Amino acid sequence: MTNTMEVLIVEDEMLLAMDIEAMVEDSGHHVLAEAASLREVEALPEDLHPQLAFVDIHLADESNGLDVCRYIRAHWPDALIIFVTANVSRIPADFSGAHGVIAKPFSHAGLVNAINYLANGMFDPPPSMPRPASLIASPNLEPRWTQLAS
Amino acid sequence: MTFTHAWSPPAFARGVALKQRDDWHLTDALEYEHGRGDPFAAAVRATRMPMVITDPARDDNPIVFCNVAFQDLTGYTRDEIIGKNCRFLQGPDTDRDTVTQVREAIAAGDDIGVDLLNYRKDGTTFWNALYMSPVRDKDGVVRFFFASQLDVSDRVEAQNIINDQKILVEREVERRTADLRAALDAKTILLHEVDHRVKNNLTMIGSLLRLQVRTIDDPSVASKLDSMLERVDALAVVHRQLYQSSDIARFDIGSFAESLISDVVGSSGRSDIKLDVRAQPLSIDAANASALGLILNEILTNAVKHAFADGRSGHLSLLVEGGDDYGTIKICDDGPGMPSIARSKSIGTSLITRLARQARAEATWSDNGPGTCVTITFPKAEAKS
Repeated sequence: MTNTMEVLIVEDEMLLAMDIEAMVEDSGHHVLAEAASLREVEALPEDLHPQLAFVDIHLADESNGLDVCRYIRAHWPDALIIFVTANVSRIPADFSGAHGVIAKPFSHAGLVNAINYLANGMFDPPPSMPRPASLIASPNLEPRWTQLAS
Repeated sequence: MTFTHAWSPPAFARGVALKQRDDWHLTDALEYEHGRGDPFAAAVRATRMPMVITDPARDDNPIVFCNVAFQDLTGYTRDEIIGKNCRFLQGPDTDRDTVTQVREAIAAGDDIGVDLLNYRKDGTTFWNALYMSPVRDKDGVVRFFFASQLDVSDRVEAQNIINDQKILVEREVERRTADLRAALDAKTILLHEVDHRVKNNLTMIGSLLRLQVRTIDDPSVASKLDSMLERVDALAVVHRQLYQSSDIARFDIGSFAESLISDVVGSSGRSDIKLDVRAQPLSIDAANASALGLILNEILTNAVKHAFADGRSGHLSLLVEGGDDYGTIKICDDGPGMPSIARSKSIGTSLITRLARQARAEATWSDNGPGTCVTITFPKAEAKS
């Protein structure tokens, strides 16, 4: 069994997308695709099957991460969805079904620790390391570890 | 005898009504000092208080007596007044509900006091403080109604002016409150917008530096850029924590230190560095947050780089304590200790010393045998009043 996560990055700021991609790859995981808007997410092949999606709230073409989150849940229900946003207050209480949020500005340490924690939980649930402060868990995260462990 | 006393039935109200009515007509032209007539009747005639008496036994309860003060108040002559019901003083703006109250009191034989808008003969109006009470005979039957009037236009006008002013002031307060609220809303939106832009810019600066570091082959240059990146990251975390809290004037350096140490050690991938964290929430002025945040970042990253260099394992401890006015953060490693020459040459140590001065804090290094302790003492935020 491989410990490489297949990651989707949905971010309209190209610099940040590149940066997140570098950190994901440096942490030993693989970036499947990047998208800047809901339309670009919808254009992705159905058989993509990302395991983890980092999703910005504010996206290109007037689209937003909450709609992207709904699309991902409908098409790739196994994916862990983590919002990466400066607009933490715009996320609804139920996170629209997403599993957590990393607040911008993120630090290298904060993002890498979150990636390590999520990989740890995904391949050996529940995660054995403590959840880093940079990752705010949604009510949907704990049930996911239970579901993965069973 | 006293006239300031509560009203008691005058002589003309005693005995046979018809005879007394005749008496008033007889005494109308007489003066008390001439020694003729009933002293009560003369007093009622001469008082400056406008007064009337009505006879409910007659059709439509007409006025059977009015004094001179009443004639002066209303502008009507006695001949025009006698025989009329009191309603002849009412006009278009007289309050109907108040009139109904008076009518009901008369019907019930009760006394009543109301303020009523009345009309003079010339059409001008005055506010009439009407007090009306029944006068009963010894069998309890209402023989007359006695009514005193007082022109209280000045009082009512003053009250109206006060009420109008009050409404004006209330409207003005409401308008200004709305203005202030709108201004506050605009400020809040602006604050969120600026906060959002600062966050985005800090994120971009971090991303640019990280992307740049990846292209550099020279390890010493790369390590310097890494240090810059860590400083930008520390500032970003300070900003984020500040704007996530409910009070942007204060900053919890305790929880910041706690999350920073786990971030720094966690991202180094050094699971062989054991952490001992004893932190408590500790508020400092937000103005000092960036300086103290950077100081902590320098101390922690230095410790990871130098105390645990070349894969040496060890312990790193963080202690956050608060006194009455001062807080203390103590960070200790059990590495080989840093030679004082190297310490004075690094930008990190100079940053710590200078930033400490800016934040009115003090940084001291001590021997941990083995290792080094750095203690930062800094002023706490003033307690909330």
